[in-house]
Amino acid sequence: MSALALVLLSVAAALFLTRLFIGPSVADRVMAFDGLLITVMCGILVAVARRDWSTSVDAVLLIALVGFIGTGVLARFVERRGG
Amino acid sequence: MSDDAWELLGGIFLVIGATFIMLAGIGVVRFPDIYSRMHAAAKAPALGIMCIGIGVALSVRTTTVIISVLLVVVLQLLAGPVGAHVLARSVYYGMRPPMDAVDELAAADEEASVTDADPAPDDTTDP
Repeated sequence: MSALALVLLSVAAALFLTRLFIGPSVADRVMAFDGLLITVMCGILVAVARRDWSTSVDAVLLIALVGFIGTGVLARFVERRGG
Repeated sequence: MSDDAWELLGGIFLVIGATFIMLAGIGVVRFPDIYSRMHAAAKAPALGIMCIGIGVALSVRTTTVIISVLLVVVLQLLAGPVGAHVLARSVYYGMRPPMDAVDELAAADEEASVTDADPAPDDTTDP
């Protein structure tokens, strides 16, 4: 089951990366990067459930904190400089 | 319940959550303009990470992991909408993409600027 979840998350990561590359504006890239971070978080969580890597949950917590700061800063950039 | 049953239940939740994340990815690639793409990228991953958190909690069943996963989910539920709102506001004021016919924010801004320029009667008593 968790292998199927990892496959689905890989597809999601590929789709977010597609938007990250082709995104016409900076805001598209910020949004796609945010989604990619969430995908990575979910991937680590699935790995925790699959292999019982309990210590890796702290990494997910760190990504959740830092990702929010990054989104806010890049949003300020978009507002100052335009897309 | 036996260990295998817990694992199966957790695995089902993991697959549901991963499906929501994948749907968000499809929406981000396929939708035509920035607002609808942001709509896809902001909402579906919140539900996805919630389902995956439930799946991990059901699969592992350790107190530390359950508390950490709960913290991650709550943090994401707080930070995700705020981040999406900040980004949408920046897009509206910084990029000015073309909107459809209804633009309630422009009307509200215009009303706010009119009331700012026209002071209330109480303010005029001060010389």
